[in-house]
Amino acid sequence: MKQVSFRNDILPLKNELYRLALRITLNPAEAEDVVQETLIKVWNRRESWAEIDSLEAFCLTICRNLALDKMKRMDNQAQALDDTHDPPASDRSANPEERAVQRDRIELVRRLIAQLPEKQRSCMQLRDIEGKSYKDIAQVLSISEEQVKVNIFRARQTIRQRFIKTENYGL
Amino acid sequence: MDYKYIEQLLERYFQCETTLQEEAILRAFFQQEDVPESLMPYRDLFVCQQQEALTAPLGDDFDERLLAIVGEKPQQEKARVVKLGSRLMPLFRAAAIVAIVLTIGNAAQFSLSPRNQNDDINYSEYTDTYDDPTVAYDQVEGALQLMSEGLIQSQRADTLSAGMRNNTDSLVRN
Repeated sequence: MKQVSFRNDILPLKNELYRLALRITLNPAEAEDVVQETLIKVWNRRESWAEIDSLEAFCLTICRNLALDKMKRMDNQAQALDDTHDPPASDRSANPEERAVQRDRIELVRRLIAQLPEKQRSCMQLRDIEGKSYKDIAQVLSISEEQVKVNIFRARQTIRQRFIKTENYGL
Repeated sequence: MDYKYIEQLLERYFQCETTLQEEAILRAFFQQEDVPESLMPYRDLFVCQQQEALTAPLGDDFDERLLAIVGEKPQQEKARVVKLGSRLMPLFRAAAIVAIVLTIGNAAQFSLSPRNQNDDINYSEYTDTYDDPTVAYDQVEGALQLMSEGLIQSQRADTLSAGMRNNTDSLVRN
């Protein structure tokens, strides 16, 4: 097993952890706290780094559990994802008005994902945004690969249906 | 243009039958400008996925804060063990290069430069020194005399040292 460096191997995972935490907590400040706690927890277990198969999955698992704890404590699942960071400006449409419309539509997608149950949200986050395999996701969430697939399937179906509904009735 | 492949991929995506590569293809496809009207509704979903993956809100200040908590100094605090050999390696290398260059340079100079012709004995260039044969004879005699004296002197020194060696040998033997 190669030498693991906190600075070079674990700290760079921060944004991935943050995105997962944000997906669960739906609150940027809480998400940042969760990432910080996660990294400190991982640091405190540095003696066992060498025995861990995938540090990334290990960090993601801790991050998710901490985020879930936080959610339980705050019990504010109804809070919407309103005050999140601005998405990086897409240069696809030069016109500012078009860009604003585009941002609104992206925001809509985000809100649709935010309305999913937590498990589906986490699965979808890890699969569609972080590009993880079913096996890795199963490891992070401590569920079977089949369950991961079912969760992602339900998430995608829900998104599709709501999407088509909004398309039909307008924004 | 035919979008059957994309439509097929989309259908399989919603059935959870796509591989990670195929999902990446879908994301790349929806990044482009001209998406056909029929696929437009799905564009935002994939654009959103792509954008979400790029969000990196935690900057360097977060790193510094965390490293401070964790107790790892921003600069590398671990002392590295450097052996004298590896420490002086650049010097050795430089010396080796200089030595090689000098050797090659010398060899090249020696083999390329024309031989010094002046050292060769060329009797035709010799000229007479004396007009009177008797004066010349005296000079040669003097020179030979000097030489024989030198020879005699060295011979005497040889026999003397040989005798001394014999003496010490006999002394050691006794």
